[in-house]
Amino acid sequence: MKTGTTLQHRRRAKTRKKVFLLLLPIMLFGIVFVYYPFIRTIVNSFSLVNAKGIIKGFAGLDNWAYTFGRKDFVLALKHTLTIAAVNVPITIIITISLALLANKKRKMSPLYEFLFTLPMAVSMSAACMIFKSMFSPSVGFINYFFGLNLGWYESKDTALAAILILTIWMGIGFNFLLMLSALRAIPEQIIEATKVDGISPLRRIFRVQLPLISPTIFFVLCTNLVLAMMTSAPVIIIMGVSSASSATNTLMSMMYQSGFSSSDYGLAAVLSITTFILTLGFTIMSFVFEKRKVHYQ
Amino acid sequence: MKRKTRTLIQDSVASTVAIFLGVILVFPLIYCVCGAFKTPHEFLTPTLLPGSFSYLGNFEEALEKGNLLRYTANSFIIALVGTTVRLIFSILAAYAFAYYDFRFKNLCFFLILGTMMIPADVLLATNYLTVSKLRLLNSYLGVMIVSFVSAAQMFMLRQRFKSVPKDMREAAQIDGYGDISYMINVLLPISKPVLTTLFVQSFITLWNAYLWPLIVTASSPHMRTIMVGITKLNSWEDENYQLVLAGVCISLIPSLVLFILMRRNMKKGGIDGALVG
Repeated sequence: MKTGTTLQHRRRAKTRKKVFLLLLPIMLFGIVFVYYPFIRTIVNSFSLVNAKGIIKGFAGLDNWAYTFGRKDFVLALKHTLTIAAVNVPITIIITISLALLANKKRKMSPLYEFLFTLPMAVSMSAACMIFKSMFSPSVGFINYFFGLNLGWYESKDTALAAILILTIWMGIGFNFLLMLSALRAIPEQIIEATKVDGISPLRRIFRVQLPLISPTIFFVLCTNLVLAMMTSAPVIIIMGVSSASSATNTLMSMMYQSGFSSSDYGLAAVLSITTFILTLGFTIMSFVFEKRKVHYQ
Repeated sequence: MKRKTRTLIQDSVASTVAIFLGVILVFPLIYCVCGAFKTPHEFLTPTLLPGSFSYLGNFEEALEKGNLLRYTANSFIIALVGTTVRLIFSILAAYAFAYYDFRFKNLCFFLILGTMMIPADVLLATNYLTVSKLRLLNSYLGVMIVSFVSAAQMFMLRQRFKSVPKDMREAAQIDGYGDISYMINVLLPISKPVLTTLFVQSFITLWNAYLWPLIVTASSPHMRTIMVGITKLNSWEDENYQLVLAGVCISLIPSLVLFILMRRNMKKGGIDGALVG
């Protein structure tokens, strides 16, 4: 009896050691590179931080007041919200339309499915460079082809719109794929039944197909909302230090500048946390909305 | 018969419209390839097609002057090693969650999944300070170190491991297999499709990363990744777009090849695996 418990005891100790070793790497890196920086960023936003990132004292709400009082912060907030408000609905409408068009399997299906999803493979910085060149006012193809005379990324009036075109383009491939697989997962009988009942195609789309794929639409909405709120790379890559850059600065590109150009880590922390809270708030709001509008089978 | 012809017409109209839209959608890529073959002089007239597709000067110049050869090698090392480490970490943790019961199991599980809730961009500045304190700025390890944790991959692998019958492990244990040899000889070979998908996705993600590599390698140009490198081929003063587009073409080759392979893989196995980043 006694030897039995020690054996069990020893085996349990061995299991504990094994589990510890198995989980150690991912937990260690998760704590050092996700949880620690997250908490540290919150702490930094309430602290006096020097240019080397060392905390020199408690600052209360000084960083927050300083950030919120800045004119460029208000602009960056406005740009970020505009990008989210325009990007998300347009992406959803475009991808649903393309998915409805591609839903039925036809001879040419593989070809246009491939074309619709291809933008997925393009990285943000590659897309930025292509668009910057394509929309160049002097040698770009877009102005030439449409006979336009717009400055696009080089003019304050059009820069934000040009950034939006780019970010929407980036999202189409993946979200189209999600919408398409959701549409194709709708049982054939349901579609057949609507045809037998003589329901018009338009009514079928709005009353049957879209409600049935609403969980996927909701997923696309949430993920794109987060991505749009975090927009920074296009602004940093394309706009750089050009004269029009103030017309497109987002919260995250401002964070990048304050952190890495001016080493103002207090300001960078406030911007990070503000973006995080806004994004979290929007996500929670979508979940409240989801309870009322999204149908799960 | 009449109905059949009507569907036929409908289908061909739909296909034509779809292909037309598809070409518009991939137009930026077509534009990029065409532009990369233009001579600097040709680039001044904004037509689409180059005089011929035989001018390779831009590619040569991008690889040599732009140092893209070095950057491609950097990116390969970072994406390959980063992906491998990330997969190993995920496999180890997934194994523990799938096969062992222990105290704080749920807590640990949600702690790992919780990392997905915090966007990496928010952590940029603080992680930069950590990496610089560890003296890893301008090193391969510094670029890849923040991407070693992937909760989504860990989760996918746990699901896969849990679907393997428990008898299999017991039989292996009777045969004298320990945890590691069971993992290497039985579990991983039968999980190959999932592992391949995760590997490809991870590789593309790391290959395409921009902001983090940019700040970590800021003071040492030869450590740049290719995605950073292509954005440095031009400036507002010196536009050089034909060079940039050639660089972009080079940077797109690996991700396009993997993308096509993945699409083929997904058609076979559904798209479940496609949701993980």
